[in-house]
Amino acid sequence: MKMKEEKNPPTDEAERALVGELKALAGEPSAQAGRGPQDPYWANLIVRTNQRIDRATSPRALSISWAARVAIPGVVAIVSFLVALHYYVPGDLESHTSVTDVLRAMPVASVDSLLVDPSRADPSLSVADVAPDVFVFSNDQIADYLSTHGSIRAAIDGLSDREPSDLITALGSDDN
Amino acid sequence: MMEPQSDLELVQEVRNGRRQAFTELMRRYQQRVYWVARRIVGSHDEADDVVQEAFVKAYLALGDFRGDSSFFTWLYRITVNLSLNAVRKRQVMNYLHESELLSRILPSSDDPGRDVEQQETESALERAVARLPEKQKAVFVMRYYDEMTYEEIGRVLKTSVGGLKANYFHALRKVQEYMRNENERGKEPPHR
Repeated sequence: MKMKEEKNPPTDEAERALVGELKALAGEPSAQAGRGPQDPYWANLIVRTNQRIDRATSPRALSISWAARVAIPGVVAIVSFLVALHYYVPGDLESHTSVTDVLRAMPVASVDSLLVDPSRADPSLSVADVAPDVFVFSNDQIADYLSTHGSIRAAIDGLSDREPSDLITALGSDDN
Repeated sequence: MMEPQSDLELVQEVRNGRRQAFTELMRRYQQRVYWVARRIVGSHDEADDVVQEAFVKAYLALGDFRGDSSFFTWLYRITVNLSLNAVRKRQVMNYLHESELLSRILPSSDDPGRDVEQQETESALERAVARLPEKQKAVFVMRYYDEMTYEEIGRVLKTSVGGLKANYFHALRKVQEYMRNENERGKEPPHR
């Protein structure tokens, strides 16, 4: 129990004086006890309290108490967890359910670079349809892309020794 | 002649399954527990219920009693907390009964005859104590009636002696002021 602290607590003398005045007004506190219950009450109180203890410690009371304190909160917690787990969907995935939505949210140039053949972007496409081959391109696709956008030399700089010759063969040119 | 067993010995016997030892503890402290409860809650019926509940609670929680304080201090703490809870519960019920909505639902819940009877049987001092805030009431009961030291009260309420002294002093002043007003008004029934 938290009590307010005082900077200058009252002195013992002040307290004694106040108690003396109060006793003069109200009489001695011990006089009250005489107006309390008589002996039979005390004997009966023990009997009634023992009965109450019996009720509180009966198997039925204990099982109700155990259920209220442990079982019910435990079951509620587990069920809540399972329900939450079942219905949980990460917010980002939920907001972009289709490839079309993702593509529409991106700049046009980015879409071209990711999806070599934009004509394949169809509203019926799902992530599963596209994901396996988004970054896997055939030689024809590479050739089409480079011939459309130029910059063949820049592409060749990043290729291995064998790849430039394959690419040049694919493009049908000996010099570029 | 056999030496009376100490509280701790009795507690140990209860833990060992001898229920009779708890009855002995009840016999030892029931009157003190009753009067603490009675002075805080202000009525016999509620005090009777609080005493029984305090002993039941103590019996069930005896396994948690570590013996850091005396058994009586521990029991006293349970009693004070239950008494204050009873007062709070009654205040909520009184508030609900006073509200217009509930008075429509329960039109015959007030019994003026009971109030008059209650006022006649309780002393002006009890009425003054009943008006104290709950913390001051608890401190006043323990210090004024039970003449406990501040250290003992501090162990029951788990608070500092300085705060207790201030609380007791404020309580004394309020009770004294109420008693003076009562004396001046003579036999006129007080407004509650």
